Amino acid sequence: MLKKFASVRFTLSILLFLSILFAGYSIYYKVRYWGFNFVPKQNADVWTVEAHISFEPNGDPIKVSLTTPAKSDEFKILEENIIASGYTVKKDENTSRLLLTAPKLKKTQDIYYRVMLFDNIDSRGKTKAPKPNAPKKPIFEEQRMAVSKQIIDMAKKENGDDVAQIIRFLNKVPLEPIVQSYLPMQKTPRDMVETISDLLAIKGIPSRMVRGFKLEENKKSLAPDLMIEAYMDNVWKTYNIETGDKGLPENFVVFQRGGDALIDVEGGNNSTIRFSVLKSIASSMSLANKRAKLADNKSWYDYSIYNLPLAEQNTLKWLSIFPLAILIIVLMRNVVGLQTMGTFTPMLLAMALVKTGFWSGLLCFALIVGVGLAIRFWLSRLNLLMVPRISSVVIIVIIMMQFLTVIGYQFKYDVALSAVFFPIIIMAWIIERASITWEEDGAVNAGKEIVNSLFVAVITYFIISSEYIRHIMFAFEELNLVILFIVMLLGTYTGYRLLELKRFKPLVKE
Amino acid sequence: MFKKFFSSFASPKKLREAGILCMNSRNYDVIFKNNQRRLYPLVDNKVLTKKLANEIGINTPGLIGKIDHQHEVKNILDIISGYKEFVIKPAQGSGGKGVLVITDYENEVFTTASGRHISYAEVYQHISNILSGLYSLGGKYDSAVIEELVHFSDIFKDYSYQGVPDVRIIVYKGFPAMAMTRLPTKESGGRANLHQGAVGVGLDITTGKALRGVVRNMPVAIQPDTGADLMQIQVPYWREHLIIGSKAYEMTGLGYLGADIVLDAFRGPMMLELNARPGLAIQIANGIGLANRLKEIDTYPSGLTPEERVDYVMKKAAK
Repeated sequence: MLKKFASVRFTLSILLFLSILFAGYSIYYKVRYWGFNFVPKQNADVWTVEAHISFEPNGDPIKVSLTTPAKSDEFKILEENIIASGYTVKKDENTSRLLLTAPKLKKTQDIYYRVMLFDNIDSRGKTKAPKPNAPKKPIFEEQRMAVSKQIIDMAKKENGDDVAQIIRFLNKVPLEPIVQSYLPMQKTPRDMVETISDLLAIKGIPSRMVRGFKLEENKKSLAPDLMIEAYMDNVWKTYNIETGDKGLPENFVVFQRGGDALIDVEGGNNSTIRFSVLKSIASSMSLANKRAKLADNKSWYDYSIYNLPLAEQNTLKWLSIFPLAILIIVLMRNVVGLQTMGTFTPMLLAMALVKTGFWSGLLCFALIVGVGLAIRFWLSRLNLLMVPRISSVVIIVIIMMQFLTVIGYQFKYDVALSAVFFPIIIMAWIIERASITWEEDGAVNAGKEIVNSLFVAVITYFIISSEYIRHIMFAFEELNLVILFIVMLLGTYTGYRLLELKRFKPLVKE
Repeated sequence: MFKKFFSSFASPKKLREAGILCMNSRNYDVIFKNNQRRLYPLVDNKVLTKKLANEIGINTPGLIGKIDHQHEVKNILDIISGYKEFVIKPAQGSGGKGVLVITDYENEVFTTASGRHISYAEVYQHISNILSGLYSLGGKYDSAVIEELVHFSDIFKDYSYQGVPDVRIIVYKGFPAMAMTRLPTKESGGRANLHQGAVGVGLDITTGKALRGVVRNMPVAIQPDTGADLMQIQVPYWREHLIIGSKAYEMTGLGYLGADIVLDAFRGPMMLELNARPGLAIQIANGIGLANRLKEIDTYPSGLTPEERVDYVMKKAAK
């Protein structure tokens, strides 16, 4: 019998060793050939933008023309993908527009376009560009031209260079009377860009519209933000169209330059385009280069997490931190010897804390459990049967969450809003367990169990909320295999738990 | 400060030398190897345990009745008619949870061990709670067992506050390995659980004489509520106690078990319940590690009858 157990441990050790080897090689491979990094920050300049186009076909043959980012020195396109079944896809390299054509279709059409961009922040605004053709002066009637020139003159009093002066003048608060009559009543960002562009053209400065995205992870359904670029001192400079500030904002990626429509749909109605953005994990220049050179690697990559749609990636990013949290629970119980309420309760609490934020989460937890316990004590006097009683506690927890959220919103008190992130059933069980322990073993033991569970939850929280650790666990998900075998090996750990060293201390003769 | 903190921990090496069995090792090296999971229901269900015990000739408190379903709860008054005192407990409870001791019953007024009077409605509610699984392992539906009250021997009168003191014997491969008596205190609420604050007194396995006493891991010489001298404890009918524990091995097939035995003033030692995962506090009560004892028992001969095993232990360990 003893031999059998020894061999279990031996087998698991071998498997652990193999999994470490595998993970080691895999990490090496990803770093070397896919250009992955160990530090999340270095990935910050690689972004995946996904455009989701949908429309209702009207019965005619369909023709869709979609703008895609053009190559430039400021960002490189690492990868482009389009999911459009039934369409013939062509790319016009000159205008960098994708042309999709299809015969008559019936159902609502969904087309996904995805592009992975490397945003080269260092070269922003520094790259010398060939001088574009002199801008075409707008053809205005005499009177409008005169007003335009007057605006250009008046703008000279503003701060900044020629471009900034005009933008700031146009955006003055309150509006200059002359501007008020010059701009359309309800001006859109696009009107703004066109007006600025016209005025610059009169001055002989070439300019163009810029569409891009303020990058925020997990943000969905973005409408592109507009900026304007002007050609000055041999480079294209970017300006904010409201403040006149020069330079691209941080985390802003340019999707398209020039004023062409983002999308044209022929043969369809109600066309919409929605964007989502993900800070990508497959990073740096080497990705594109190396992958291009080693074409056979592609199949490998295709089967990895990083090729899934973005929404799934975000979910998996969240999931891939679970095994580490589980490992912590196992360590806390079997190596440290802390008794907690329910095996995975602390892990679920930690997950909730990540979503709520640390202090507001703890406050909310204390509030729900505190009020819940008070109500539960009243319930116990009613002598209800167990299942209806626990169910009542669940419902009470839900009502408390609703109450906190509504009150929190009304009083702009964000802390209360985080109540909804706590797992309802877990909260109800904590209340139920605590109140039974309270009745059976006294308040001290009940408090101890809650504190222990919270303690483990807090430790778990600090580990899983680390951006660095999350990045590593997602980028190198083979580490989860290593964790699996560590956990299994811990299942054969028969040594003393840390707290047992204290418990059995009186038995050691000095 | 750090020094003081660290000195409150023992070194693993010293614990190993002292032969202290730890939780992980108990689960992995002892329970996995000696207790088959399919045998657990035999000890987890008190009705079943009682039936098996009576078949093999072990004394247990007499069974008055059993309630399995909610609609039977109203029969409780019929079941207990003629009895003045009895105990209601969950068939699959653990750690004394849900045990209701009625010391006097007359005209639908119940008096509990602590002297409190409770009504029929409260007893009804208590039985309902038992059936709904409030006290059972994992919240499974349970049955309520009504059994005769143990009149525990005068010998323990001075050592116990309310509740029922019992003797816990750890039986390994049929050989009694270690024993203690558990004395309820005010703090433990009349229950014989060490983690709730009951006194644990280690007993010499060969004689049943007190070795040392502990409350919450701290050594004590007297019962905190009654002031009785713990070192004077000498459990009578010690060999009979050991034989009950030893027979439990044949009865259940569990290689590692804890037998809880009470001494009835009229019927002698009776088995109250068995435990397939007895805790480790017994080591602290005895001041000795269990691992070494188990290792020694591994060398004992096999194929002996329960009585022979008890005599073997009493002779061998006495040396």
